[in-house]
Amino acid sequence: MLIKIKNNVDEIARLCDEVKKFCDDNGVSEEKYHDIVLILDELATNVINYAYPDGGTHTFTLDLHKDGDDRIVMKLSDDGIPFDPLARDNPDTESSLEEREIGGLGIFIVKQLSEVVEYSRVDDKNHLSVTVSVMNKNNNNSKE
Amino acid sequence: MEVKSTVTEGVTVLTPTGRVDTSTAKAFETSVMDAINASKKIAIGFNEIDYISSAGLRVVLMAGKKLQASGGVLVLINMPEKIFAVFKMSGFDKILKICSSFEEAKPFFN
Repeated sequence: MLIKIKNNVDEIARLCDEVKKFCDDNGVSEEKYHDIVLILDELATNVINYAYPDGGTHTFTLDLHKDGDDRIVMKLSDDGIPFDPLARDNPDTESSLEEREIGGLGIFIVKQLSEVVEYSRVDDKNHLSVTVSVMNKNNNNSKE
Repeated sequence: MEVKSTVTEGVTVLTPTGRVDTSTAKAFETSVMDAINASKKIAIGFNEIDYISSAGLRVVLMAGKKLQASGGVLVLINMPEKIFAVFKMSGFDKILKICSSFEEAKPFFN
């Protein structure tokens, strides 16, 4: 499934609806849908907020597909400025309430929820590929 | 997204519904800050949201900081497991009070 997204935060709602449809069609559980939609919200938000500092209307793409029975692969590609979200430091999750800062939390959550996250800059485009396991956890109450 | 607001036993209980994401975080922030300006006892319920992104977590963190600085109390309640997992991986379970229900949160407001 290929979804085209404009650099406007109002696109997030439509993205969620498309992702919901994809998950329903592919038998993805409610819980995994939650993780996938949260990952895509964070990643699309990053592109919308930071990839196009000059403004104007731009379109980037999300390729969403199933890889075998137990994996969902999401590939985001944008022609914005070079931006590797993985280069960011992880937030300090041990700091106190007063000292705690919010920066970098989005991509940190993405890394926690996924199996593999890869960034590459090819042909003047940012490519971010995220793989999530959707294996059935029958007798396993995994917290991941 | 909407934010329902009720006052129970002197505690303002906010319940956002739908998606707390980048496009709705501003409205969520306005509701939370309005409630904090009117009351120092705030509970936020998470049982009616689809998900909360880092944009929404930022608002919750800000509310926690603000209430702590002013001697108020913030308790997060009614969190489904998938939402709790996000708070936990963010380390928020160590800096914010999280209770399974309003009943369980009550002692913190006394």
